Amino acid sequence: MSWTGMRGVATVPSYVILQPTTLCNLDCAYCYLPHKAADRRMTVAVAAAVADSVNEWARHVPRFSAVWHGGEPLAGGRDHLATLMAPFRGVEHHVQTNATLIDDAWCAFFAERDIKVGISVDGPADLTAQRVSRGGRPAYEQILRGVDALRRHGIAFAALCVVSDPRPGLARRLYEFFLELGCYALGINVEEQEGVNHRSNAHDDGLVRQFWAELAQAWRAEPRIELREIEWALRYAGATLAGAADELLPRQHDPVPTIGYDGRVVLLSPELAGFTDPTYGDFASGSVLDTPLHEIVAGAATDPAGWIAEYLAGVEACRDSCPYFGFCGGAHAANRYFEHGRFDSTETDHCRNSKIRLLEGVLDHARAHATRSSR
Amino acid sequence: MREHMRPGVVADPLAERMRATAGLVPLLTDAEAVWRSRAGTRGGGDGDLPVWRPFEDAFPTFYQFTNRPPR
Repeated sequence: MSWTGMRGVATVPSYVILQPTTLCNLDCAYCYLPHKAADRRMTVAVAAAVADSVNEWARHVPRFSAVWHGGEPLAGGRDHLATLMAPFRGVEHHVQTNATLIDDAWCAFFAERDIKVGISVDGPADLTAQRVSRGGRPAYEQILRGVDALRRHGIAFAALCVVSDPRPGLARRLYEFFLELGCYALGINVEEQEGVNHRSNAHDDGLVRQFWAELAQAWRAEPRIELREIEWALRYAGATLAGAADELLPRQHDPVPTIGYDGRVVLLSPELAGFTDPTYGDFASGSVLDTPLHEIVAGAATDPAGWIAEYLAGVEACRDSCPYFGFCGGAHAANRYFEHGRFDSTETDHCRNSKIRLLEGVLDHARAHATRSSR
Repeated sequence: MREHMRPGVVADPLAERMRATAGLVPLLTDAEAVWRSRAGTRGGGDGDLPVWRPFEDAFPTFYQFTNRPPR
């Protein structure tokens, strides 16, 4: 099979990620972010420079998203975030938040601007125990208070859940929690060895497959939540049976510009922002304070250099060697770098946990329930 | 578990294995029923088509490339 998607980098993204502040009010055990104890804030000049390019891109497509990430994007307060959002036109705004700061005033802010909300919580209190304040106090009750506020105001929200130890018996409990929580969509992130988080993410193959198989079973029995990983795998399986699997991957990589608080632009991999390496430097392709964002993106896409060129070579190595390429699109840049120290390697533990074992786990579930009803 | 592909020699061993997976067709039938029931809700759907809906609202950054479908 010769997969035709993910060749090169597109010159126009479909979304941008912005860092309104490096500060986070939490200190989660697995967090990859550097500088999260410092309140380094994005200036209006940076946001306005980003908007100059984004507004033009957004005029030509049905949807264009600005994703406010962090740090904790609410940590700088509503006035700061409103000021940063003000220059954007025709753009959907998203926040990915730890939910601890959400109150009635934030809910009004979200509703007024039609901001799409994603929260981060890892399940019941014992499973969310790694999400703690800077003083080590569990954040769980604060998170639930934030969720209560969202529910009071009728604001739909998605949830991201980090799973540090995927194993049998966990998935059903997690899924039941999120059904109760009331999120409309759920994404499962198996913990990654990334950034300042050096914990190993090597797991037993069979245990991780069982985790995903059980999650597929839980979703199939009560499919009220849009369950990102399981449905992604099912979509691929369906396309494979229909002979259309090669049509699923984007034709080119989305450049995914991440704009740091100081205006520096890191393409393709938000997790690399804020890091430096003796070989690769600061991974940035430029700064919006010096060069228009659209020029930075177009330049890197048409003439890839440095770590981006090495990464694209790595993608081709994945294409040539991995039977899961059509499902995955190639190992992620940050996982290659933080696991292998370079970008032209191939299979990572993240690939194994979150792509290969996911797809195999869904197939395991199908086989296990081939002769009896799931419901 | 790894099956190395040699273009022209082995077409797509993973696809062959998936086609041979007992229970996959009924699982996909269930999934399509779910997707059909969601069509037209909360925007972003594809009319009455029983297709997977990309997570544009919830997770625009999924998989570090756009999860918006190729157009």
